[in-house]
Amino acid sequence: MKIRGSYIAAAAIAAAVIAFPAFLGAYPLNVARNVMTYMALAISWDMLLRSGQISFGIAGLFGLGSYASILAVLRGGMDPLLSIAFAALFAGLVAFALGFAILRLRAMYFSITTLALMEIFRIVMHNLHDFSGGPEGAVLPGVIFDGNASALYWLCLGGLFVTIGASAYFEKSKLRLALTAIRNDETSARSNGVDIFKYLLVAFVVTSTLQGMMGAIQVQSYGFTTPDTAFDANFTLLPLAMALLGGIHSTIGPMAGAVLLGIASEWLKLKIPYGHLVVYGVIIILVILFMPNGLVGLVRGAMRNARRQGTVAAGTGATGGVE
Amino acid sequence: MSKLSTTGLTKAFSGLVAVNDVTFGMEEGEILGIIGPNGAGKTTFIHLVSGILMPTSGRIEFKGRDITYAPAHERSRLGIARTYQLIHPLENLKVLENVMVGAVFSRGKSLKEARLSAESICAELELDGLGRDTAQLSILEIKKMEIARALANEPEVLFLDEVMAGLNSDETKQVIATVQRIARERRMAVGVVEHVMGVIRELTQRVIVLEAGELIAEGPYEKVSKDPRVIEAYLGGAA
Repeated sequence: MKIRGSYIAAAAIAAAVIAFPAFLGAYPLNVARNVMTYMALAISWDMLLRSGQISFGIAGLFGLGSYASILAVLRGGMDPLLSIAFAALFAGLVAFALGFAILRLRAMYFSITTLALMEIFRIVMHNLHDFSGGPEGAVLPGVIFDGNASALYWLCLGGLFVTIGASAYFEKSKLRLALTAIRNDETSARSNGVDIFKYLLVAFVVTSTLQGMMGAIQVQSYGFTTPDTAFDANFTLLPLAMALLGGIHSTIGPMAGAVLLGIASEWLKLKIPYGHLVVYGVIIILVILFMPNGLVGLVRGAMRNARRQGTVAAGTGATGGVE
Repeated sequence: MSKLSTTGLTKAFSGLVAVNDVTFGMEEGEILGIIGPNGAGKTTFIHLVSGILMPTSGRIEFKGRDITYAPAHERSRLGIARTYQLIHPLENLKVLENVMVGAVFSRGKSLKEARLSAESICAELELDGLGRDTAQLSILEIKKMEIARALANEPEVLFLDEVMAGLNSDETKQVIATVQRIARERRMAVGVVEHVMGVIRELTQRVIVLEAGELIAEGPYEKVSKDPRVIEAYLGGAA
């Protein structure tokens, strides 16, 4: 009953979100697209985090997807919509190849390497003048769907739905057992038949594909990119902050964090144009210090306490006479 | 043919030879004791045959197949399972899920099948409260959970590395009885590392004794325990 209730709630929210363009103007739709892009990145970052690997390379794969898409259209004459699928696969393929090297690293070494990869991609795009357009970037002849605000919104929403679907599959399938086992205790995982490298590779390739896809959607929606916008560190930092605020190791946590921080940042951008990232930084520090399990952890903790108090009350009622 | 055998198995950590030229075999249905003073190389030996460490030299065979350098997860799928001297719970999974991991990844079962087999193994070990977090378990329950997880691998060879450590005598008896019954029912070969000699005497048909990485004696406990080399190893060569 309870599960059916949450499915109905999710379907209702999805329907409402799909219907947004019917009653929202261009500016709110643009804000919504921003929030959805960061949300998808936050979820994908969390999906890999479930295996214990902290990636600082989100912007790298995002930028790679952006460039794969824009260059496929510019240099290859590919259909813009098809180029999004191409860019996603391209990012996945690059991750597959890189995975053989970097998924043997752990903890800090893995994180730093992913950060360095992002920088390498950026520098490569900077310097491939003839192919990528160099520091000035690349410009498409036109924006996908002729810039129709509703269509762009639905495109981004589609990318988000794919990401949520993938994350939900990670949570429901045996991937959850594998990734959690790897995160908790690799030795124990190995002794129980978990092929650690295989599952890390699956998680890394899938999340990189999603990040590349979101980059491609972004670039097709704006019609241009430069190395500094495509590989902007914000595409790493903001999703990370959102997932931490909402609560890691879940789908719902990064989603909640993205809604809150995404809307807050739009508002802050208007209030303090160049200072909103300072507020972001403060939020990250406060969350890590006082709310390590994020909002979802806070809610779960409160629910657990309520339940425990309920059972304690019932228990004393039943056994009070005996003791 | 032996279920599991080693030939000249050696592991050196730079200068220190932790396991030195050990040749032995384990037969179907046998409960084998692995004893020796602290630092004798018992745990390193189990690490080697279960694939957690790779040997420096020598050979390991499982049912005649060379598995000397096979990765640990492959050995688990072939049928070699183990528990750890230091507990290794998966703290972000529930108790039942901990046990399911063995069934899903070692046996390739679906989540549904794995759930059923994990439930029946836990019932056999009298472990309940399977929806709990591992942090809520007593030490006995964690040890049972780890045995259950190893059994969910449906192994042909099982190593129990000091599972009785930290348990009182009643709990130890309970675990012994269960291990004996399951080993008999499933015709498993079981290797037991234990410091409590009463447990070894009661549980095993045969023991091997390691000292400073070398196999110094082999045979039934009653005989081995009277071997002068074994006594010397335990008493520290005072004589």
